Amino acid sequence: MAKCQEDLQVVHQEEVAERTFRLQLSSERIALTARPGQFVMLQARPGTDPLLKRPFSFHRIVPEKGLLEILYRVVGRGTWHLSQCAPETRLNAVGPLGNCFAMPTERSQGVALIAGGIGVAPLHELMVRLALNRPKNMVNEIHFFYGARTAAELIPILQYESLGISVHCSTDDGSRGYKGFVTQLFESVAARNNLLPDMVYSCGPLLMQYHMARWSLAHNVPSQLSLESLMACGIGACLGCALPAPQPDDPMADKYLHVCKDGPIFQAGSIAWTKIQTQPAAPLIFL
Amino acid sequence: MDQDSNATGRPPDLSVELGPLRLKNPVMVASGTFGYGEEYADFLDLRQLGAVVVKGISLLPRPGNPPPRLVETASGLINAIGLENVGVEAFLSQKLPFLREQQVPMIVNILGNTLEEYAELASRLDGVDGIAALEINISCPNVKKGGVLFGTNPEAAAAVVQAVRRETSMPIITKLTPNVTDIREIARAAVNAGTDAISCINTVAAMAVDVFSRRPKLANIIGGLSGPAIKPVALRCTYEVLQAVECPVIGIGGIMNATDALEFLLLGAKAVQVGTANFVNPQVTNQIVKGIERFLQVEGLATIEHFIGTLDSRCVFPFAEEACEP
Repeated sequence: MAKCQEDLQVVHQEEVAERTFRLQLSSERIALTARPGQFVMLQARPGTDPLLKRPFSFHRIVPEKGLLEILYRVVGRGTWHLSQCAPETRLNAVGPLGNCFAMPTERSQGVALIAGGIGVAPLHELMVRLALNRPKNMVNEIHFFYGARTAAELIPILQYESLGISVHCSTDDGSRGYKGFVTQLFESVAARNNLLPDMVYSCGPLLMQYHMARWSLAHNVPSQLSLESLMACGIGACLGCALPAPQPDDPMADKYLHVCKDGPIFQAGSIAWTKIQTQPAAPLIFL
Repeated sequence: MDQDSNATGRPPDLSVELGPLRLKNPVMVASGTFGYGEEYADFLDLRQLGAVVVKGISLLPRPGNPPPRLVETASGLINAIGLENVGVEAFLSQKLPFLREQQVPMIVNILGNTLEEYAELASRLDGVDGIAALEINISCPNVKKGGVLFGTNPEAAAAVVQAVRRETSMPIITKLTPNVTDIREIARAAVNAGTDAISCINTVAAMAVDVFSRRPKLANIIGGLSGPAIKPVALRCTYEVLQAVECPVIGIGGIMNATDALEFLLLGAKAVQVGTANFVNPQVTNQIVKGIERFLQVEGLATIEHFIGTLDSRCVFPFAEEACEP
């Protein structure tokens, strides 16, 4: 799976939920080898400001048509510029990067996918492939837990139920589905139905991922958590996207993994969660 | 016939000499922006580079700083990686063989907390097959000990260069920080202590804060600024160093394209290092080499040496010249 650099062309872009955009890009090379869970570094705008490319996970991959889709939320200047791109705009890209979600290798009673907010982005392609290749993937039940702060932030997910996926929604304010965090919804559904998935796939805010990691370790259920970070290069050169890793021999010693090359998919136990210093996200206000 | 003209149609000669070091072209990659080379092998032909300067190596592995380690600013990037590296033993056994096979001159950037560590590193790397030169890092702003502490004092800088010089017969490049009152003093001290070349600049000490959380944007609070934002500072430093010393100078700072690279060469830098641009465009160095070649063809120059250091420092207003045209 060689990495490459190419210009992607905007085919279509639409706002699918509040400040959330789905961007379809034509790709000659990256789409051919991209796998669910991997990501692409995408230039938001020509020139040097913003300077760096932004990492985006693949939301949909259609190699036979040479198409890629990313789903992103406008959180700063880079994503704002991206949201203004019209069809036929060419955006320089580097990819596919990072590791990918591993499919179940043994017969599986069920898997759970947990998405918090824009964390739905990388789970879509994985979920569709799990559902469409059910016999080959040996997965009986697919439970999808999808939460956001409010209903307006949820992207349309009608198609999932027709694929035989059990969908469970939550919003922090109760404007749709369960009122509360998606992790609480997941835990209550799991407890009520005596559901113990064979694998948990999860993507969302860091605190949510921490909760999923703790649940996964406590219930001895393997997990694949898609994590994010600021990064400059995406290819393991800048070492900017460091996350602390546990050092069982010497808990005080520092050791770091890098989201771009060791991830973005990590198992629950591979991150020293309590060593991460979280920063509250800045509100999207251009003063 | 004008010696500069290149009517033969042959591709221009891009080769340069930096003291004892001969490079096929003046475009290198800067330490810390190119890993150990293998990270970029999918994207470009490493043999087309003048040289690869690998990520700074210390005696023992270093974990680096806690995250967040990066923040993007206007046309710039502030980093506080903290010199994360695999250490000299793992470098020699795991990282060096790949680059040696690529047949590209490899320059090893070294850093230490003490004079003894610099000396020990120089002695371990001396004469190792595949290494073309050592670059002494006395300019990293992101670690508490060593690094920039040696680079901001002429006596300390001279002591590091001497310590390395005693342990190696390899060419030595000394990489300077711009975070000093007078970079010429440090450059003179390094040359008098035996460095073969100077590279400048390392990153500019910088910080960024968030008004909503009222916190710094880097865990280390202060980091080093790189990218297009620092090119004018880098040009000024390179200019000053060139005036102060006779040895070859390598220009570094904010080079994003061939024009930027040519600006440093125009001042008199024998070569350049491309850093942050590698993150943005992993193929940029190959494109810069081609761009320089094209420039020399357009200008009718047979060799890059005919362009290096040809700055005419009498500044004229651009319109004044046009106004004089008949």
